[in-house]
Amino acid sequence: MKVIDTVIGEKHLVDILPVDMVDFKTLTKDRYFFDWNLEKKQEVYKLLIKGSKDILGLVSIEKIPQEWRIHIRLLTVSKENKGSEKKYDRIVGCFIAFIAKMAIREYGELACVSLRSKSEIAQHYMDKYAMRLTGMTLSIEVPEIIGLINFYDND
Amino acid sequence: MTEDKNLMMDLEYGIDSRYKSGLESVSEATALMEARLRRMKMLSNDQITKARLLQLKLKMEEFINHPVYDNHNHFSNFLKFYIDSIYSKRSIFAKDINVDPVSLSQVINNHREPKDEFILKLMIHSEKVYKDVCSFNKKIWYQIYFNNKICEIMAKQEQWQPDIEKQVRISEVTKV
Repeated sequence: MKVIDTVIGEKHLVDILPVDMVDFKTLTKDRYFFDWNLEKKQEVYKLLIKGSKDILGLVSIEKIPQEWRIHIRLLTVSKENKGSEKKYDRIVGCFIAFIAKMAIREYGELACVSLRSKSEIAQHYMDKYAMRLTGMTLSIEVPEIIGLINFYDND
Repeated sequence: MTEDKNLMMDLEYGIDSRYKSGLESVSEATALMEARLRRMKMLSNDQITKARLLQLKLKMEEFINHPVYDNHNHFSNFLKFYIDSIYSKRSIFAKDINVDPVSLSQVINNHREPKDEFILKLMIHSEKVYKDVCSFNKKIWYQIYFNNKICEIMAKQEQWQPDIEKQVRISEVTKV
């Protein structure tokens, strides 16, 4: 999976790795918008450009095997990757595709990735990631989830 | 423009999707599951097969990247999953790759090692099958096979090492 440098258009391969306990000291609300220390007991992953140590984004998830579902609890990009002046594009897409792969690996054709979002943002996730809205919950399942994985894996 | 409004201008800066209460979580999970079950019934066999093949590929990649030897991560289990995802009968697969059904059964049940020719045929077959599913590196079958061998040998190290060690000596050592 790759992120794109928005200035020169160059693509960079990324690693998505579990967050280490020592990382939490560097995950300030100022740069990562939320209090990530509250997620210490959850499964939390960081996104880095291969070979770099700079964390460009974070996601915490909850696996719900009885529903063949992985729920995205909290997700963010780093401050410099927010808005029209962002340095790298596709960080969120890489995270969703990464979790989608995890869900397919675990649950096969029953796989589902979900998140909740404010109504004004929901349409964006439906348009960009082919998610469906049920009540307040956005989700992606088979067959759309396969298209999403292939898009971020092969590009 | 306030900071909040700035954030809203970027729809992807972050999502706080945590449930505020157990009740909220249960209620949304129930509605979502009902909707999903309705959609699952609409899935075609082709869509289910593609999902299973992608699942297999991701499981094999996971084993290559993080080899853990257990009953699930065996070449024969991956092979079984592959065949059963595509074929209604294993004998049809045997015919498709010009292999004796009995030999195939022995490989699947770990009573026979797959020959090179068998793995080569499997590579060609899977390359064709995966063409319309996702990217697929056909050499993964060999990687699985050899990873299996390494894991098996190292898992049984305590059994073979004492006897083998007696047969090995170092008569000359080059000093650096």
